[in-house]
Amino acid sequence: MTEKLLEIKHLKQHFFTQKGTVKAVDDLSFDIYKGETLGLVGESGCGKSTTGRSIIRLYEATGGEVLFNGENVHGKKSRKKLLEFNRKMQMIFQDPYASLNPRMTVADIIAEGIDIHRLAKTKKERMQRVHELLETVGLNKEHANRYPHEFSGGQRQRIGIARALAVDPEFIIADEPISALDVSIQAQVVNLMKELQKEKGLTYLFIAHDLSMVKYISDRIGVMYFGKLVELAPADELYENPLHPYTKSLLSAIPLPDPDYERNRTRKKYDPSIHQLQDGEKMEFREVKPGHFVMCTEDEFKTYL
Amino acid sequence: MTRLLEVKDLAISFKTYGGEVQAIRGVNFHLNKGETLAIVGESGSGKSVTSQAIMKLIPMPPGYFKRGQILFDGRDIVPMSEKEMQTIRGKDIGMIFQDPMTSLNPTMRVGKQITEVLFKHEKISSEAAKKRAIELLDLVGIPMPEKRIGQFPHEFSGGMRQRVVIAMALAANPKLLIADEPTTALDVTIQAQILELMKDLQKKIDTSIIFITHDLGVVANVADRVAVMYAGQVVESGTVDEIFYDPRHPYTWGLLASMPSLDSTDQEKLTAIPGTPPDLTNPPKGDAFALRSSYAMKIDFEQEPPMYKVSDTHFVKSWLLHPDAPKVEPPEAVKAKIRQLPNTYQHPVLMKEGEKND
Repeated sequence: MTEKLLEIKHLKQHFFTQKGTVKAVDDLSFDIYKGETLGLVGESGCGKSTTGRSIIRLYEATGGEVLFNGENVHGKKSRKKLLEFNRKMQMIFQDPYASLNPRMTVADIIAEGIDIHRLAKTKKERMQRVHELLETVGLNKEHANRYPHEFSGGQRQRIGIARALAVDPEFIIADEPISALDVSIQAQVVNLMKELQKEKGLTYLFIAHDLSMVKYISDRIGVMYFGKLVELAPADELYENPLHPYTKSLLSAIPLPDPDYERNRTRKKYDPSIHQLQDGEKMEFREVKPGHFVMCTEDEFKTYL
Repeated sequence: MTRLLEVKDLAISFKTYGGEVQAIRGVNFHLNKGETLAIVGESGSGKSVTSQAIMKLIPMPPGYFKRGQILFDGRDIVPMSEKEMQTIRGKDIGMIFQDPMTSLNPTMRVGKQITEVLFKHEKISSEAAKKRAIELLDLVGIPMPEKRIGQFPHEFSGGMRQRVVIAMALAANPKLLIADEPTTALDVTIQAQILELMKDLQKKIDTSIIFITHDLGVVANVADRVAVMYAGQVVESGTVDEIFYDPRHPYTWGLLASMPSLDSTDQEKLTAIPGTPPDLTNPPKGDAFALRSSYAMKIDFEQEPPMYKVSDTHFVKSWLLHPDAPKVEPPEAVKAKIRQLPNTYQHPVLMKEGEKND
C-alpha cells in the first residue's frame, strides 16, 4: 500500500459528566493512507463523529495520539504550527443549513480560510480564487455576493466543500455530508467529491450511516460500535465477507431498492453477550486477512481464519 | 377491494408575498383497506402537503384548496368544518411525524400524551385509559410499559420515542395511518425495527398506511403500491414490482439510478439527476421534469403530458409513452433490473379525461 497520511494510535475521547465518564471514543487505532477514502459507519452515538472531531482537534483528545504526516496533531503547539495543521486538514459538516454563517456572503465564507492563512496578496487575487473555487464545485461566480439563504441544500453543501478546498488541504473529514440532502442531490455531491479527489489527490475520512453510499465512495470501511472499531476492511471485502456479528447485523438492516430482495431479507440481531470471554481475556483487534481487521476473542479469531 | 381513501384532482396553493405557490397541482390516487401506499419524491415535490391535506393540517390561510376532493370512507373531507375534522383526526386517521424529538411534548409524561387521545375520542375511565396506554406501549415493543408511562420523552431514545409516537397514533384504532418519513431521523438498525413493527401492527389491526419517504429501499420494503411525485403531481404510480422492475417515467429512472447498489463492484459514476426541482410559484410549461431530463422532447416544453395506462394498476404521465415517441433506453442501472411483468398491456393506453385510476 501507499504511504500513511494519518496514524491514529489508541485515541481516547472521554467526556466527564455529572453521571460519570462517557467513553465516546475508546482506544481507537487505525491508519489512513494517502489518496484513499476511509468510510466510518455505525449507529448514532457510536462515536464516529467524535472520532472525526478529535482527529481534527475540535476536541482535545483524552489519550492517545493522532499523527499527521508523522507529527502529533494534539498537544502543545506554537501558533504557527497550529495554523499549518489547520490548513492541511479541513472538514465538511453534516448540516448545510447550520454550518454556513447566514450573515456572511458566500465570498466571505469561502475566503475566510484564505484570509486567515494569508493565501491571497491582493483583493483581486482573493476574489479570483473565490471564483475559481465556485466553479470547481459547480456553482458560478455570480453566486459570490449572495447569502446562504438564497441557496438550496445541495448548493449549500457545495459552498461548504468550496470553503474546505479554499486552503488547499490534503485531508478532508466529511461528517455525514449528504445525510441532509435529497436522493437525487446526494448523487451530485458524491460525484463531485469523487472528482475532486481524483483531481487534487485528496484523502477523505467519510463518516456516514448510509451504508450503500459509504460502500460506493470508500476504499476501506471501518465499523464502529460503542466507541470502538469492531471491523476494518476494504469496502468490497467488508460487504462480501463481514465477520463481526455487529457488522453482519448492520448489513442485514439495510433496505435495498429491490422488492424481491426485501421480501426475503431477514434481519440479524446483534447481542454483545455472544462473545465468550475467558477469564481476564480482552477483545482485541486482530488481522484476519491482509487488511481485514476484526475485534474478537482468541477463540473467535481461530474460527475466522 | 374496498376503497378507504380516494384523492381526486386535488390542488392546493399557498398565497405568499412572492406569489401563489402551487404546491400540489392535480393529484389523483387511492388507497384500499389494509394496503400500504408509499409516496416518494424529493423535498418540495408535494408529498408532505398531500399527506397534511388528508389530515387537513394545512394552515389556511396562506394555504387553500383550489380544487379537488378527498373522499375518506366515501365522505368528502375538503368542505368539512374544523369541528367535524376533530372527530376524524386522531380517531379515524392517525399520523406519525418525521422527527420523534419534536413531535412529543417534552413537558408531559408519555402516558398522559397517549391517554389524551383516548379521552378526546372515547368515553373512558382514567383507570381503563391507563390500562390501554400500557397495552399500547407493550404492543409497540417498549419494555416495562408500566414504568415507562410515567416517564418523560427525554428519558427515551430516538427509536423508543418513535415507538411512543406510533402508540399515540394507534391509540384510537385508526382506519388510516399516515407516516411522514417516520424513519428518516433514525439509524438503519432502528429503522429496520420500526418498519418491522409497522408491518406487524398492520397485520394485527388491519389499518391502511400511507408511507411518505424518499428512501427507495424503505419503499421496496413496506409498500404494496407506490406513487412517485414530482413538482406537485403524481408522475408514475403502480404496484411496487411495477415501479422497481418496469419503471417508465424518466424521473423514476433518475431516482432509481442515483442510488448506488450494494452488489455493484464497478466504480463508475452515479447517474445524478442534474439541477434542482422547479419553483412552483411559476411551474414550468409542459412536463415539469423536462428541464432536468435528458429524454426531453420538444413537446415536453410545450404541452403537459397526459396519463398513460401501462397495466390495470400502472399509470405514467409522460410523452415518452405516446405511440409516435422515439424508443428510448433507460439508464444501465435501471435496465439491469427490468423484467417483463405478466399484466402489462401490449401498448400503453391513453387515459381519457376523468377516467379513474383503478
